[in-house]
Amino acid sequence: MKIDCCGLACPEPVINTKKSLEILPDDSILEVLVDSNASKENVIRFAKNEGLSVSDEITENGSIKITIVKGFACAIDTQEDNSKFLNKVLFLKDDKVGEGELGSMLIVGFLKSLLELPKLPKTIIFVNKAVLLTTADENSGVMKVLKEIEEKDVEIFSCGICLDFYKVSDKLKVGMIGNAYGTVEALLNSEGTISL
Amino acid sequence: MAPGELSHAIGALKSCNDNLIIGMEASNEDASVYKIDDEKALVQTVDYITPVVDDPYVYGQVAAANSLSDVFAMGAEVATALNLVGFDGCHHKPEVLAEILQGGLSKVSECGGIVVGGHTIDTPEMTYGLSVAGFVHPGKIYRNNTLRVGDVLILTKPIGMGVLTTAIKADMLDEKAVLKTADILTELNQKASLVMREFDVSACTDVTGFGLAGHAYEMSGKNFTIEFDFDAIPILEEAIEFANMGIIPAGTYNNKEYLDLHVEVKKEFQDEIFFYDAQTSGGLLMAVSQKDAPLFLKRLKEEGCKYSSIVAEVKEFSGKSLILK
Repeated sequence: MKIDCCGLACPEPVINTKKSLEILPDDSILEVLVDSNASKENVIRFAKNEGLSVSDEITENGSIKITIVKGFACAIDTQEDNSKFLNKVLFLKDDKVGEGELGSMLIVGFLKSLLELPKLPKTIIFVNKAVLLTTADENSGVMKVLKEIEEKDVEIFSCGICLDFYKVSDKLKVGMIGNAYGTVEALLNSEGTISL
Repeated sequence: MAPGELSHAIGALKSCNDNLIIGMEASNEDASVYKIDDEKALVQTVDYITPVVDDPYVYGQVAAANSLSDVFAMGAEVATALNLVGFDGCHHKPEVLAEILQGGLSKVSECGGIVVGGHTIDTPEMTYGLSVAGFVHPGKIYRNNTLRVGDVLILTKPIGMGVLTTAIKADMLDEKAVLKTADILTELNQKASLVMREFDVSACTDVTGFGLAGHAYEMSGKNFTIEFDFDAIPILEEAIEFANMGIIPAGTYNNKEYLDLHVEVKKEFQDEIFFYDAQTSGGLLMAVSQKDAPLFLKRLKEEGCKYSSIVAEVKEFSGKSLILK
C-alpha cells in the first residue's frame, strides 16, 4: 500500500500512516511519501514506537519515501519460508499443448522444464483431458517428470469428475483427487494462474 | 515562522528615536518600550495564534494569555488591549466569534486590563490574538539578554504544549488531558511576573514558539553559555507518549534544526526533542541570583506556579550558547 502525505502538515502524515497500518494485514508493507523533514521524523518515530521496522530513502523528485513493514515477524524470514515455491497455480486442461503428436511432446517438455526453475509453482491442477497425464503409464516420460515434481512437494490435484469421465480413477499415480471447491480456492488464493 | 527565517526577514528594518528604549534592533525582545517620561514607559506587543483547542472560549483565553505574556516578561503592567481577529465565517457561526472574544476579555480583565477595540477580517484559517499596551518604569524593565554568570534560570510552566496541542488537533488527547493542557495554556504569567519583582532577577523572557532552547539562546545573546540540566526540565508526561508516536509539530523540528549548531549535548536524552518543542503561552524563563533562587521558587509555588523549577545555570561563554547535560 502506498500513501502520499506530501504537502500535509503535522500531525496528518502520522494519522494517515496510523490509519493505513490499522487496515493493512500483518506482514504487509506500507510506503509513505512525505516532503518535509518534520513529517519524515514523525512518521519514523511513530513506526519505531509501534515496534515496526522502517527505512527511508530520497526519491528522484526529492520527496522522501518511508517504508514500514507491519507485523513483528521479520518480513525477510517469512519470504524465505515460502521461497521454495511461487504462489502460483498451474492449471492444465489438456494432455497436450496444442494439437497432435507435437502437443504431447510439448507438454512433457514443459513440465520437465519446470524442474529446472529455481522456484516451482505451489500447485498444479489437472482437469478435463489433462487427467490422462496423471494417470499415464508408470514408465512413460510424463509420469517420470510428474513424480519428480511431486517429490519436490508441489501439490498435484486431478479433477475427480474428469477422472470418472475418462474412467481412469483407478489409474491415478501421482498427487491427489481434487474437488471443485479446492480447485477454485487454490486459483483465487494464488498470486497468479498459468493455464496452458 | 522558523527563527532563522524571521531574523533574516526583519534584519533590515530600522527605527530610531530618542525615546525608544527597546525597538527592533535590540536583539529579539518580547515587546517594544517607548519612554514617555522618567517615571513611565509604554510597552507594546502584538501576537496572534491559530486555534490550539476545540473550545472557542478556551481558545480565546489561550490566545489572550499568550499575547499578554510579553508584557509580563518585560516586568510591565497591562493597560489596554485590542482584539485582532481573522475569522473563518464560512465554517463557523458568529456565536463562535463571540465566545472567542469573551474568552479573551476574561483574561484581559483578570490581569486588570481593558479591551478597548479591535479589528476583524475574513480569513480561511482562524486567527486570534491581542495588541497589548502596558506601562513600566523605564528603570525597571526586564530585558531578556542581561544575564550574569552564576545566575540560575527558573521556568514557571511545563514543556510539552507544542506536542499536546498537536495531539489535540489530531483528536488523540483524552478529555482529562485536554483540560490539564488548557489549564496550563490559559494561566497568565502575571503572578510569576509580580513575584519576579521581589527578587534579584537579572533577565526574563517568556517561552513560546522558539521553544525552551530557542528562547534560552536569545537570552544567552551569544555572550553566555547556559547549561541546562535536562532531567530538571518539567515535561508533561502526557506529552512524552505522543512525542514517541511522532505527534510533534513542524515548528519543533524547525527550532531544532536552527539551534543544533548552538547546542552541545553532553549525553543522549530520549526525549531531547522537548528542549526544542514550540510552546504556546509558555511560562516565564527568569535568571535569578543563586542566593535568591530557593526563596523565589518557594514564592512562585505559593502563587500557584506549581511547575516552577530551576532548569539551568548561567556560565561564561565557552563556545556554545547552550549545553544540555
